[in-house]
Amino acid sequence: MKIKVDFKKCQGNARCWSLAPDVYKLDDSGYILDGDIEVLPGQEAVARRGARACPERALTVEGED
Amino acid sequence: MTRNAVPEHVPQNLVRDFSIYTSPGMERTPNGCPHAAMGYVHNFPPIFYSPSNAFDGGGTWVVTRAEDQRRILGDPATFSSRRGHFEKSMGEEFVIVPLESDPPAHTFYRTLLNPLLSPKRVEAMEAGARERAVRLIEAFKAKGSCEVMNDFAYPFAVGVFLQFLGIDESRRPEFLGWADELLHGTNEQRQAAMKIVAGFIRDLVEQRKGEPTDDFISFLLKASVEGRALTDPEMVGMGVLMFVGGLDTVAMAIGFDLYHLAREQKDQARLRADHDIIRPAVEELFRAYATITPLRRVTQDTVFDGVPMKKGDVVSCPTMIANRDPSEFPEPDRIDFDRENNRHTTFAYGPHRCIGSHLARRELIIGLEEFLNRIPTFRLKPGEAPITYGGYVFGVENLVLDWT
Ligand code: SF4
Repeated sequence: MKIKVDFKKCQGNARCWSLAPDVYKLDDSGYILDGDIEVLPGQEAVARRGARACPERALTVEGED
Repeated sequence: MTRNAVPEHVPQNLVRDFSIYTSPGMERTPNGCPHAAMGYVHNFPPIFYSPSNAFDGGGTWVVTRAEDQRRILGDPATFSSRRGHFEKSMGEEFVIVPLESDPPAHTFYRTLLNPLLSPKRVEAMEAGARERAVRLIEAFKAKGSCEVMNDFAYPFAVGVFLQFLGIDESRRPEFLGWADELLHGTNEQRQAAMKIVAGFIRDLVEQRKGEPTDDFISFLLKASVEGRALTDPEMVGMGVLMFVGGLDTVAMAIGFDLYHLAREQKDQARLRADHDIIRPAVEELFRAYATITPLRRVTQDTVFDGVPMKKGDVVSCPTMIANRDPSEFPEPDRIDFDRENNRHTTFAYGPHRCIGSHLARRELIIGLEEFLNRIPTFRLKPGEAPITYGGYVFGVENLVLDWT
């Protein structure tokens, strides 16, 4: 599973990281790192939850809206 | 309800009686739930005008839908954060930055401060905060009972703030006193306490000019925005904002969350059984028990979704209302730790999104983890009634729990 990151939309809420710290990596100011994320097997559920928590809609699970 | 004149440009069909201080469930209520009480506003027009909702008794627009609040909070050019009510109400010369500033100046302040409260920095504060929580809880555990706000929530939040500021623990009782007056005092007491806090920060700035350390104020002294050093009033404003923002809100969130768990034994049992649920649960509790109402001032005559707003109008975006917007959160009054799509606006939205959100979230997680680890199944103490209230900061007090 892949997460698409729309870096421009990220406002540094870190909601994704809070729910799935192993999936989402943040920079020193708390913004998500640019670039799509390859989700490891077994982490799909938390990754999905983190993506849905993003209030800016910066994260989309590939193949989903 | 006192009713002010409705400005001429406001269509009569958009006027509703509503006050975040005095509407049903907003005044001091025993065993209340002000967040749920507010739900009826979703039967009003999505944006309505209340003649008696503002701090000073004046009117405000009230935005009820989560999506509309995001659009407003994300458009600082039309909806300015420079409301000026801190300066006005306190007669102080310091400016509450970054809160009372707009881009582009706001962006400089935020860029400066963001790293100080970033998720990584917050991780570094974790051990201290946890140790503090444990110490407080162990002190009342054997009693079989505690009053959450005074025994735990305030001293915890004040302690974490002092750690952040780099101030010695021995001054905690003093700070607690100020916090108490600032948050629960009469208007005069509040103003007096605010002056004391500002004075304290001002002294701290002077002191650090002479002997810099590695604390918050020393950082500000070295910092530059737009190629210049920060002014004294700016530094005082930032310090005061951190104090006010980090104390009340965190303490109230801890209070409302434990209040919820005391009433909903099933939810409490679930968190005890599965600590992995605590993180998403904290997020859902943030949604359900939001505390603050961002205010904006309209900068130019504008029509927003057909609603005519005039330059100078005040627009309020109560987070607790957006978070229970049924068009975004199905069954909004149901607290559901498994809720997906939890796009709450508790930390507001847009450029002014709460800078302390990472720290607040961490404090809540630590607070709940340690409380549940150390205190057996608790409930509200029979014969005692917690008092809840609305206002621009929702609150709870006299929250007595019992686990005998
Ligand atoms: S939740 Fe969204 S806005 Fe927040 S850090 Fe993650 S991607 Fe950025």
